[in-house]
Amino acid sequence: MESKKTILVCCGTGCLANGSQKIYDAFKEQLKALELDVELIPDVKGTGCHGLCQKGPLVHILPQQITYVHVKDSDVPEIIAKSITNNEVIDRLLYFDAQQKAKVQSKEDWTFDKKQMRLALRNVGHIDNESIDDYIERDGYKAIAKVLKNMKPQEVIDEMKHSKLRGRGGGGFLTGLKWSFAAKAEGSPKYVICNADEGDPGAFMDRSVLEGDPHTVLEGMAICAYAIGANRGFLYVRDEYGLAVKNMKKAIEAAKKRGFLGENILGTEFSFDAEIVRGGGAFVCGEETALIASIEGKTGEPVQKPPFPADKGLWGKPTIINNVETWSNVPLIINKGADWFRSIGTENSPGTKVFALVGKIANTGLVEVPMGITLRELIFDIGGGIPGGRKFKAVQTGGPSGGCIPESKLDLPVDFDSLTAEGSMMGSGGLVVMDDRTCMVEVARFYMQFLYGESCGKCAPCREGIKRMLEILGDICEGRGQEGDIDLLLEMGEAIQESSLCALGKTAANPVISNIENFREEFEEHIKNKRCPAGVCKDLTEFYVDAEACKGCTLCAKRCPVGAISGEKKQLHVIDSEKCTKCGICIDSCKFNAIKVK
Amino acid sequence: MEIIIDGKKAAVQEGETILQAARRNGIDIPTLCYSDALPGITSCRICMVEVKENGVTKRVASCAYPVHEGMEVTTDNETIRRTRNVLLNLYSARVPHNKDIKALKEKYDVPEIKRLQVNKGETHLAENCVLCGLCVKACEEMGTNAISTVFRGAEKKVGTPFDEPSDSCIGCGACASVCPTEAIQMTQENGVRTIWDKTFELIQCKECGKYFATAQEIAYVKQKIGNDMDMALCEKCKQKGNAAKFKEALKAELDI
Repeated sequence: MESKKTILVCCGTGCLANGSQKIYDAFKEQLKALELDVELIPDVKGTGCHGLCQKGPLVHILPQQITYVHVKDSDVPEIIAKSITNNEVIDRLLYFDAQQKAKVQSKEDWTFDKKQMRLALRNVGHIDNESIDDYIERDGYKAIAKVLKNMKPQEVIDEMKHSKLRGRGGGGFLTGLKWSFAAKAEGSPKYVICNADEGDPGAFMDRSVLEGDPHTVLEGMAICAYAIGANRGFLYVRDEYGLAVKNMKKAIEAAKKRGFLGENILGTEFSFDAEIVRGGGAFVCGEETALIASIEGKTGEPVQKPPFPADKGLWGKPTIINNVETWSNVPLIINKGADWFRSIGTENSPGTKVFALVGKIANTGLVEVPMGITLRELIFDIGGGIPGGRKFKAVQTGGPSGGCIPESKLDLPVDFDSLTAEGSMMGSGGLVVMDDRTCMVEVARFYMQFLYGESCGKCAPCREGIKRMLEILGDICEGRGQEGDIDLLLEMGEAIQESSLCALGKTAANPVISNIENFREEFEEHIKNKRCPAGVCKDLTEFYVDAEACKGCTLCAKRCPVGAISGEKKQLHVIDSEKCTKCGICIDSCKFNAIKVK
Repeated sequence: MEIIIDGKKAAVQEGETILQAARRNGIDIPTLCYSDALPGITSCRICMVEVKENGVTKRVASCAYPVHEGMEVTTDNETIRRTRNVLLNLYSARVPHNKDIKALKEKYDVPEIKRLQVNKGETHLAENCVLCGLCVKACEEMGTNAISTVFRGAEKKVGTPFDEPSDSCIGCGACASVCPTEAIQMTQENGVRTIWDKTFELIQCKECGKYFATAQEIAYVKQKIGNDMDMALCEKCKQKGNAAKFKEALKAELDI
């Protein structure tokens, strides 16, 4: 007998934005209308993110393991006719793997997937995010049952300590150690918080887990609550994550109905309840003390540590805050054991890390890799390298608080300590790739602009310092840079690092400092010669056509939005600098690399 | 217990902050947002010191960091000076004409960073507020909560809700009295006090005739302590009265 078919339609935010809801509905409707043989009725599941968002919407068919990319609702009848009823593969919907130079049938064989190892994302994309049964089928709530039946709270903490799991939100603090502080701390009641205020530009690791596998987060929190003696938990979710909130709400209700949350969980003495608190849109509320203030209904501003939340947190009581990805690892460690977990990754950063690969990279999306993998493998093997024939210039890790890492350091292993040593940081997992058309001064300005808008303004170095550094960077980008500016930026950066109140301020200068360290000549070129070598800063840029390279294809002239380029077919083209707005479309469209920056 | 501050042993009490311990031992650390009555704001960051404990060296805000047995504190070194220099320059870029910031810069011999002192038109010449938050904390402690910080980041300011005269303000002037940079305008003329765009009638001391408090303030305190005691005396006359009573009582004691 033919085994039952399952159609997994990615309904993560990325694919939804590309119309996957329509595809899901079309499958449901058409399968029903066709009244296929009972044994063959395929199960359509809306799942969380499969990772390769750029190729979305994705549809995955089991058991044949066929993955279709860029699916449209108009493709549904063909997929049903060929792949569901006839086991045929539709070639045109398959993914073309640039590294293998071939079309690949299953995502399991994509180069994108091969070097990955999905622990935190183990269920995302594989289960219907609205089905608690799907979660249970994949060992869901097994860990909490094991803990409640066979382990004392101290044993849970010991196991977590032994696992050496480090906080995935960016801090990298040892999770088990943190739990042991809260377990020992005096004060009652105690609280457990899930930090889902993911705010780094371009990062969506936590969103994916919340949307695609909400129960694993609840299970992780319940295990911690048991270990430290808490009965109440909060999930602080940034307000923009509508789907995550919706899915999590349903998950909480379902878990309560089944007795995995609420009073006397699984018939034991242990009770734990969780609720969602929606953030108000402040980046700083990802900082744990500001997050706590926000839950308490106060202005989201950080307070001085110590005392740490594990001692005095929410309403002054011992509180454990962990990031979404950290929570997602907890049930796995309990089920498979700390020793197993430590066999993955590196000695001091065991396990895996989820990254959001964005920017100038072929495979934009979500990836999870064992710690210790090099940046080069991440960007070129998994990420597929830089598109458009351009060259790699830098990769920014750690969000606005991280730094940019140049080509020469691409063989750096990705773990908490190596990245910090290079003036960047692991952060929560944002990875922005930049090509040679990126101006590093402008990048520094961009991040400063972001932090300028997000600094809470409580402490002076962060509030006043970012403002003044941003002014100086603006001056440099617009041709008003002065001699001594670079040293002044470094001096101010150091002062802000040294004296700011919270991690936002302490790391705010990282993008500027690391860019100066790695790309100093670019800053000098802006200041001394009033020239932007990447051709990005409009006031410092002039384009020209290289007479030897230009083939006279007329493409640039056609694309130029202001008609600044003229030239006959097969003749050298000329740019009128008076008319040119320096938008750079000509550079990006020229196939012969003939447009140059003066 | 004992700690070391700037190479010297200093006796400290458990629960004290580094700042309190240092000041008691005659060691100077600058602050803007700190008051003994309203500690723990930690926003001004000019009280940063270097701490060495358990083999780790770190820079901390001395006004909030508790003393621990055996810790070594340095209140002045190259890094601390560099940081303070930048910070005070940032302050004076914000409030270029404030005399308290000028005085601090002079006291700590802070070199001028000219690049930061260019007024780009966004600084009001009359601006004196450095956003330390002491006024807000004082108002909160009074229980009135008439002012708070509004907006965030560089836009942040202190004000009443919607910048309108606040119903909660009792005109006590606690905010103005704790302000380290005299940024809060409080005027007093002909028995009327004006603060935060609201006017208050002042009550005269029945002994010396000096205007000393607003009617709302007295009513608020009476209601708060829940009795109807006579509060029509200014602080000085109250002290005088108490001293006289004490004298008489002592006399009576000695006569026996």
